[in-house]
Amino acid sequence: MPPFGKTPPGGGDHEEFNLEQMEKETEEMLKLRYINKDNAEFKRTDGGFVSVRIGEEFHPRVQVVRMFPFSDPEKYISIRTPDEHSKEIGIIEDMKDVTKETAQMLTEQLNLRYFTPIITKIVNIKEEYGYAYFEVVTDRGACRFTINMGGHAVVHLSETRILISDIDENRFEIPDIMKLSAKELKKLDLFL
Amino acid sequence: MEKVKLPKSVLELLSRHGISSDSLLCACATDMNTNCEYADGYVILTADKLCLLTSPPDPSRVRSFKGYSKKGDLETDYGQNWAFRFLAITELESVKIERQVACGLLIANDGDALAAFSNLHMKNMHQLVRSFDRIKNPQPDFMQEEEEEDEYCPKCGTMYPNRNRKICPKCMERGTIFMRVLRYFKPYRAKLAIMLVCFLGIAALNLVWPYLNGTVLYDHILEKDSAFLAKLGIKDGRFVTALLLIVLTMFFVKLSLQLLLVLQGVFTAQIVTSVVRDLKKDIFGAMGKLSISFYKSRQTGSLMTRVLRDAERVTSFFIDGAPYILIHSFTIISTLIVMFSIRWELAIVACILLPISVVVGMKLRPHLWSLFGRRHRAERSLNSQVNDNLTGARVVKAFGQEQRELTRFSTNNSRMKDAELAIVRFDNKFTFLYSTTQELTSMIVWFIGVALVLSGTNFDLGVLITFVGYVGQLSGPMNFFSHIFHWWSDSINSAQRMFEILDAIPEVQEKENPVAMPSPKGEIVLDHVTFGYEINKPVLKNINLHIKEGEMLGIVGRSGAGKTTLVNLISRMYDPQEGAIYFDGVNVRDLAFHDLRRNVAMVSQETYIFMGTVEQNIAYANPNATKAEIIRAAVLASAHDFILRMPDGYDTIIGSAGRELSGGERQRISIARAILANPKILILDEATASVDTETEKAIQESINYLIKGRTTISIAHRLSTLRDADRLVVIDNGEITEEGTQPELTELRGTYYKLMELQTKALALKGIE
Repeated sequence: MPPFGKTPPGGGDHEEFNLEQMEKETEEMLKLRYINKDNAEFKRTDGGFVSVRIGEEFHPRVQVVRMFPFSDPEKYISIRTPDEHSKEIGIIEDMKDVTKETAQMLTEQLNLRYFTPIITKIVNIKEEYGYAYFEVVTDRGACRFTINMGGHAVVHLSETRILISDIDENRFEIPDIMKLSAKELKKLDLFL
Repeated sequence: MEKVKLPKSVLELLSRHGISSDSLLCACATDMNTNCEYADGYVILTADKLCLLTSPPDPSRVRSFKGYSKKGDLETDYGQNWAFRFLAITELESVKIERQVACGLLIANDGDALAAFSNLHMKNMHQLVRSFDRIKNPQPDFMQEEEEEDEYCPKCGTMYPNRNRKICPKCMERGTIFMRVLRYFKPYRAKLAIMLVCFLGIAALNLVWPYLNGTVLYDHILEKDSAFLAKLGIKDGRFVTALLLIVLTMFFVKLSLQLLLVLQGVFTAQIVTSVVRDLKKDIFGAMGKLSISFYKSRQTGSLMTRVLRDAERVTSFFIDGAPYILIHSFTIISTLIVMFSIRWELAIVACILLPISVVVGMKLRPHLWSLFGRRHRAERSLNSQVNDNLTGARVVKAFGQEQRELTRFSTNNSRMKDAELAIVRFDNKFTFLYSTTQELTSMIVWFIGVALVLSGTNFDLGVLITFVGYVGQLSGPMNFFSHIFHWWSDSINSAQRMFEILDAIPEVQEKENPVAMPSPKGEIVLDHVTFGYEINKPVLKNINLHIKEGEMLGIVGRSGAGKTTLVNLISRMYDPQEGAIYFDGVNVRDLAFHDLRRNVAMVSQETYIFMGTVEQNIAYANPNATKAEIIRAAVLASAHDFILRMPDGYDTIIGSAGRELSGGERQRISIARAILANPKILILDEATASVDTETEKAIQESINYLIKGRTTISIAHRLSTLRDADRLVVIDNGEITEEGTQPELTELRGTYYKLMELQTKALALKGIE
């Protein structure tokens, strides 16, 4: 032990503290593990989730997370433990790296996690007293929702793609505003 | 608990399965299924069952989210074919909500997805889960059940813009607010009266003008009207003299008009600035009284500017708007009377035509406003980018990204240009259309007027010119009325926001007849304290702690464990939701603010240096301190040496406009401030976090001196800081998990031991390198 290591007043028994193990843990923490169809096996669970087996390791339920949900939703998928202090189990670099069935079941998980109806038509937008009231048609059916005018309810993901969050933070997306009619665009004008 | 409301078809289904409506404890609607489709459903809790109902997705149904959906959504019966699943509570180990990115999942036993729902039902579902937990683990619920607040105006159904502020902008009593603002003008009554006289004078002179330069000039002078001369008492035939007289009169009319305008301007400026000053003073005073939670829930900067701008907006309406309602009404009515008395046929024509231009203005102006809004947004993003770049200049340079920043800037800059161009383009269009309609109106009046003159039906050219002059005078006031309503509701809104702050009741309030405690001993007792910044999310749970007089207590714990919250409660920045805190046996709620603040000083991780000299900053809590005392405090805080290294010593200007200090220097200044305050209870919240080890050692020495005869509470991540603590507590997840002296805690081999080992190892590792 180097002489400049401070000795804690409570009397530190250094022998009991496993330095090697600590280093190993740190190393583990810094390592990226890529998984693909060769080293991991995903399965549906009865509860509607997905489990994974990687060699000896088995996780009865995993959380599937996109690293780039907007810019690259099909790549860099993080497979994580579902608990509060979720830790990474591994990374799928590309959905093509896993079997079609696996990709399908992971996509289902992702769809639920990132549930965002796509707005296909804007029926009406009314602005009144700090709120904007939207009436739209989405790919999941007609919706009426309200956004707060003061905050950051409308986010521009790109020049033409916008994400709208209502006051409860339910999300709606317009993938390409150029596909809207001139009339609809005009209604949306306030947010562009 | 309120009776659970469910649609008939659901109740029938439940009763078929032997569940009566009386046994229902809690119900929550769902609006999704796990296949990501919108579909109706219910989660219903009884004392022994959890019932899940789902219906097939119905694409024809319109989903209403918050803002549209009123209460009673639970009662709506869509009469679906419910698919159901009943789970016995005994089989359920846990039921939890897992928040997704934009929806929620109800999960049983950590792996069974029971239901999916949008955030609309999040709150309700949390209540259901809490009810479930209570069945599983019967215990008094220490968090209050959140009241189901009415978020909609009961009168008109509009959602309140701010939930904490139940004011419906639609039904707001504008009159009351108007009167309340008027009260601010009361001290300037005399000036206001003079201003009003000026206004009326201006209006009257404006009324005279067309008569002078029309009828008098053309019909009397040019037409050589002898009777008119006789009336003026000028000898017949001397029309040049009459002309001179008229021109002189006209000159004096114009002159007095200008004088009145100047006078009115001076008074307006005086009144506006005074009222704005009074308003701002009141607002600033009110803000100072508010509790810290008020500032936490709002962005202070934007709030301040908004309110100050509001004050100006309100006042400007009351000066530039309100009186003109009177003046312009007066102008319009009197002008119309004069016009009708001159020639009613022509007056009718003008009355029909004039509103056209007003309508054009009303139609087009909103679009112009929205363009202005767009330019404002473009300007804001450009400004924020410039700001971003200036603050981040070091990083930009370090990574050599100047070129890319320039490109980024150009994009925003072009957007600004486009917005600007759009305004100019539309403004041109607007002006063109507007003036064309206006010109057209006057052309038509001219045309009909000239036709009348030609037909010789007792209608003179001068009268026509006078008439046209009056027509021209009408358009301004009419225009004013076309947008006054917008302006008025805008300013009343601003006033409302202002009064909201003036009327806000601080959450932490001083009791009436508080207990004075000039020299406390410094004993602190926390008795079953529970607190959370948000209801339902306790940060501190049932904390019991006894800090003895003169003791130094160290608080250890992970970030976010609740350490800072604990000391915030002790210094009464907030009041606990449950339990109480006692100083020397007196509840802090009963203590006088003055004594409380004087006896508790905090050096926190956020140091704040005010604009001013070093001396003023150190003496902030004790402005009467002598120079010798200030120097002593600085020496004790190890600040003396670095202060003297600055050329202006203790007179150096620091703070936002002055010399920049390093993190450690700021920290030492704030420690000196606390030393000078000489409190009985000293709170050190990561006081030495941003200084190097050597300085920390020096500060440690001064703290050791400082804590003598005081009760000290010290929070630290670096455990070496707590070497001299008499006792330590470990807070984890809002609870005290370990408590004792250092050897005791080391013996326990718990969190403290682990932290200690980690830190000594980390130091050891540094040594190896």
